[in-house]
Amino acid sequence: MSKVKELQIKNKYTGELIDTIPADTPETLREKIKKVAQNEHLIKKMDFFERAQLLAKVASKLRFNKNKLKELIVAEGGLPIKYSEWELSIVTNGFKFCDWYYPMVEEKPLTSIEGEQLASIRYIPQGIAACISPRNTPISLPLYQLGANYLVGNGAIVKPSTACPLTMLKAYSLMEDMNLPGLDALDIVIAPGEWAVDEFLKSRIIKTIMTITSSHTAKDIIVNYAKILRKTADKSMGVTMYTQPFKNFFFECAGNDAGIVMPDVNLEQVAKWNCMASYTNSGQQCFSMKRIIVHKDIYDEYVELLIKEMDNLKYGDPTDPDVDIGPLGSRRILMMMEVMVEDAKKYDVKIFTGAEKVDTGEDYGLFYKPTLIEIKPELCEDLVKAPFLWREEAFGPVRSITKANDLQDAIRLANASNYGMRAVVYTSNLENIEIFKNELNAANIYVNARPMLVDITVSLGGIKDSAYPPGCKYYPQELVYGKYIYDGTPVNLDKVKP
Amino acid sequence: MNISSEISGGNTFKTDIAKRYTAFLSQYPEIFSDLIKGSDFDFAIYDTLDAYDDKNPIDSFNVLRNGHGIDIIPGKAYDPDLELALSTKAVEKLIQTNTKEEYAQLLGSFYNEPDEDDGWIDFILYKRTQTIIDMGYGKFAKTAGILEDEDAVYSM
Repeated sequence: MSKVKELQIKNKYTGELIDTIPADTPETLREKIKKVAQNEHLIKKMDFFERAQLLAKVASKLRFNKNKLKELIVAEGGLPIKYSEWELSIVTNGFKFCDWYYPMVEEKPLTSIEGEQLASIRYIPQGIAACISPRNTPISLPLYQLGANYLVGNGAIVKPSTACPLTMLKAYSLMEDMNLPGLDALDIVIAPGEWAVDEFLKSRIIKTIMTITSSHTAKDIIVNYAKILRKTADKSMGVTMYTQPFKNFFFECAGNDAGIVMPDVNLEQVAKWNCMASYTNSGQQCFSMKRIIVHKDIYDEYVELLIKEMDNLKYGDPTDPDVDIGPLGSRRILMMMEVMVEDAKKYDVKIFTGAEKVDTGEDYGLFYKPTLIEIKPELCEDLVKAPFLWREEAFGPVRSITKANDLQDAIRLANASNYGMRAVVYTSNLENIEIFKNELNAANIYVNARPMLVDITVSLGGIKDSAYPPGCKYYPQELVYGKYIYDGTPVNLDKVKP
Repeated sequence: MNISSEISGGNTFKTDIAKRYTAFLSQYPEIFSDLIKGSDFDFAIYDTLDAYDDKNPIDSFNVLRNGHGIDIIPGKAYDPDLELALSTKAVEKLIQTNTKEEYAQLLGSFYNEPDEDDGWIDFILYKRTQTIIDMGYGKFAKTAGILEDEDAVYSM
């Protein structure tokens, strides 16, 4: 998209125009950044609990307007109506109970060896954040980015995907209706990433770049920042000194999650959950279960059960309450699914089901049927040579399944990935559970868990190419920095008095 | 768990709807059995959403979990843990239900599908979420139908 002044948002299923909205230009974006900076004090003057109470009120406001919001999520995001409830509840629950995060940001007193408590770590908001969110979540992630910044006391600019900005704009207008204190320190930017991110990188006001994107796009952002830094190099003193300061980069990237199924479980139940974990939102989820690893003793039976579950998935009109699979977010995703399947065919793979597209020839109404492809374990050994479907994130409804000989083999296969967002395990062996918890390389481990959990404790983050910095994480915790304070006044006041 | 209920303060409710609702609730004290002793929260009844925004209920009462059961007391608590806000339309429908399960299901629907015309409920926490959880309100919300059963939240 070029620097247009208007943006047309179309229905992902029907192609009908939903709305035409004004788009930002570099000039209006810079103005918004300035406005946010000028008003950041409005947020900072409230304490954490005041802001938490206000976010809880926002949650109520969203809930009272949920039908309108769900309508937009379905229309512009293509998410099935039944899934839109989940998308919205993540953020309404998160906001309603957001003071739960307080222990992560409250001042921590430190006790010295002598038993004195003169030091502490106080957590300070990092400053204004630019938040870039993806097209698969019209409201949960952009609003969560905005809310987390507000909660800890940062101003923020949020850039929702230009493919689906209306839900977020509606949420913002609801906050305007309720005169949310400090709202002038938060704003929404409607602009494509291709130039908006550069504006964020160049701005000295923006302290944090917070994105939810592919790992490769995140690396591009780092490369672009390096180029910007290079332009600010000053060699006048004989050494290279950069005038542009560091920024905080906070990337939530791709996942290629493994899901391990051991023989000692209720296979029907696990297959049901697996189907949900792998194909919800047409598989367009970073935390979707993408690489299914099944113990050899139950492999054939499990594949049969999983296919049975997949056969029950209904795809089509996302407004239909029975539909499980809505249209894909873009033609690019459809193309990527085709590329992954075609690449897999070059190997000795077996396509159990799917591998068919529904292509309207337009940018809407695009589907790829839920697909399950067997990849032989020996093909997964060397990541460089492994099928594209195994080594990269399939951000759509195509999943790989492979056979493991035993527990250690399952762990080895699960860890054979450049990604490490989540790993999921189903087993009833309590000793093995501990081994999985210790040996799986991912930032988030789910054992015998129902998928699509809406729980305040659920963390984001990842290791390897799934996130930067690495680790499980909660947004509020990442948006503050620790300030060490040693206050010797109680013991030294007499000595320093004149 | 057998727990008792008592309505204190006689006829000091401001409205008939609060009288009828408290009489109804006193039939099902077991709904409150997950709350720890000393927990105390407000029920506030609003005739419109605007009145809710303005914090102007038509009537309120509080439910105190004591050692053996619950005490329903007119007016707001001195130091409530939270407020459960209900529209008059929601209360009118709730008191028509015939079983505890039916009540819980309807209460849940007013939370999950709030509607100004059909009825709504909401809640405001006055204490920290962790404190509220520790007092048993999370489990209470499930029993009372406000938080849905996990498997019902999203299923394909």
